[in-house]
Amino acid sequence: MEVKRRSKLIQKIIFRLYFVIILCIVLSLLMPAGAVKAEYTFETNYIYDFWGFAKKSIPAYELVKTIDYENMNGVPLSSLDDVYASNGRIYLIDSVESRLNIFNDDYELITSIKLLRDKDNKIVIDPETNAQVILKNPEGVFVKEDFKEIYIADTGNERILVLDSENYYLKRIIKRPANMVGVTVFRPSKVVVDNAGRIYAVVQGGHEGIIELNSDGSFSRYFGVNKPRSSVIDYIWKTLASETQKEKMGKVYAPSFNNVDIDKEGFVYATTHESAAVYKVFRLNAKGENVLRNADMVIGDYYTGAYNQQESTFVDIAVSDFGAYALLDKAKGRVFIYNFDGELLNIFGGLGNIKGTFKEPTSIAWYGKKIIITDKKLAKAFIYQQTDFGEAALGAAENYYYGRWDEAAMLLEKALSLNSNYDVAYAGIGKNLLMQDRYEEAMYYLKLGNDRTYYSKAYNGYRAQQIQKGFIWFALIVIALVGYIIYSEFRYHKKIGSKEG
Amino acid sequence: MLKQLIYVNLHPFDGFYQTSRSEKKGKYLVATVLLVIYGILQIIAYQYTGFIMNYQPIFMMNSIRIFLLALLPIVLFVVSNWSITTILEGSGSIGDIYIVVCYSLFPKIVFDLIGVIVSNFIISEEIPILQAFMAIGTVWFCFLIFAGLCVVHEYTVFTNIIMIILTFVAAIIIIFLAMLYFTILIKTINFVITVINEFFRRW
Repeated sequence: MEVKRRSKLIQKIIFRLYFVIILCIVLSLLMPAGAVKAEYTFETNYIYDFWGFAKKSIPAYELVKTIDYENMNGVPLSSLDDVYASNGRIYLIDSVESRLNIFNDDYELITSIKLLRDKDNKIVIDPETNAQVILKNPEGVFVKEDFKEIYIADTGNERILVLDSENYYLKRIIKRPANMVGVTVFRPSKVVVDNAGRIYAVVQGGHEGIIELNSDGSFSRYFGVNKPRSSVIDYIWKTLASETQKEKMGKVYAPSFNNVDIDKEGFVYATTHESAAVYKVFRLNAKGENVLRNADMVIGDYYTGAYNQQESTFVDIAVSDFGAYALLDKAKGRVFIYNFDGELLNIFGGLGNIKGTFKEPTSIAWYGKKIIITDKKLAKAFIYQQTDFGEAALGAAENYYYGRWDEAAMLLEKALSLNSNYDVAYAGIGKNLLMQDRYEEAMYYLKLGNDRTYYSKAYNGYRAQQIQKGFIWFALIVIALVGYIIYSEFRYHKKIGSKEG
Repeated sequence: MLKQLIYVNLHPFDGFYQTSRSEKKGKYLVATVLLVIYGILQIIAYQYTGFIMNYQPIFMMNSIRIFLLALLPIVLFVVSNWSITTILEGSGSIGDIYIVVCYSLFPKIVFDLIGVIVSNFIISEEIPILQAFMAIGTVWFCFLIFAGLCVVHEYTVFTNIIMIILTFVAAIIIIFLAMLYFTILIKTINFVITVINEFFRRW
């Protein structure tokens, strides 16, 4: 009886064991493998690693100064829509109060422009409309230091105003060119000027591209091609639909650009926030093609459509002298800094209600090594300065761009000592070691940096070295192999020969 | 046993005919061992493929998952092929199909293992060569399965092609039913849990 009961018990235990094992197997299949993406990270500062997992990181920038109504000497300030900074001047556009506010190095208001005056300080009257030239909901400002000119996109009045950048008098008014083609309304929202004086104006919702004007204000062409993303499902529907259905479906418009910047070489950078676009960020060459490196990876936050994720919607781009560009994302208030190769260097900033966070970020600009970000709802401009890590990381990017490899590697090592999750640095140090033919160390760093292309190059060198070192052994093996083949052939023929003989 | 295995791999038509008719008990053991080796090989490949060819995040390796995911398509193929061919006058039993599939894994195992080892000593320019080499194993594997199924089911080549297409259809149906089953199971469990929760809240 006792034995029977015991055997039953054992059977029961074994059965349960099986159950547990099967459960384990099923669970191991169901479990998501490894860490989850940024979903539950409480750190605001993170960076994506090679596999797209969010890893803790250090911000490259920290808030140092805020420009708000306190700096305005009583001039009203209700909104901030665009910022441009150069030569110790900060230009801020307020579209609600319709003002251009200009600040100096010490963040003191120099002047606030609403009503425009000519050289002799007289109020300008527009001869066509017989009205004073007053700003009306301007959305963009750009300063061309070479020509000493300020360009204001006077959106509400559908014109671009050109001011002198020293005495702030009105030089020119650029209205809708008579020879302009297409259906786009001439409501310039953002404007940049290249070295030849050509003006590139972005119209919000303009599907034909960026309006390019010659320096005399005549229409040149629509600039930049932005292809809509087409999906297989759309294609299937299109083939199935009848003509009337197709008419009702509506046209697929090319996604419109929403902001521009220009680098010192004259390449126009543009962003779009329409989700139908193939690329989100553009570096346009003279033909209007996107030549941004690694463009399909410049997407801000990784987006898989999972719960709690948001696609980054870029509202502004700022290009630095050394090819690195900062992208401002409206969805989460983040700033993404990429280097000229399209590698993500740093992410900082965020939406929120504490000091240094944004409500509705609108615009970003480099101010020397600092970064200025404006906020429309808060009507504030935030000035960010580099942290120790930012100094090292961005300094390295700058040195790398100018080909000063050793300085770059030194700074990268400093950046790594501050932040060991900074993968770009491992690859950078590895590349530098590779250039010095220190293959084995290079392989170590390139493996950490997950850079397979350069790892392969380093390994090629290392392998050649090893083969050279052990050449005698390779030679011996080959000789032995050849010898064996000859011997076996010889023996085989001898056998046959003896059989025949 | 190994001799027989190699003979089957080199002379599939003759070899599979013999294995399907022989009464040796060992053949199932060999087949299962091959299957397990294949699963283990996938784990090895995940971890030890050379860095240049290995894009897997090794720090989050789950060997049980890899093993089961490697075996899943094979088992699925066996089951769906058997379910199709029993209806459509195939003379092979499920054991025969199992043996055909598992014995056919042999060249794939050999070539993949060599590939894993060699991948540690190559640069990216040489990757296509190694991949071409490893493709030999895969092609051989596919040919063996095809030949083996022809023999054990006593099909002509053309019928066999249709049967293999039908096998994939059956596999899709099986996956669909499995997903349906699990979804409904989860929903049922959730429902029961909700009812219990409500019950205790109103108590």
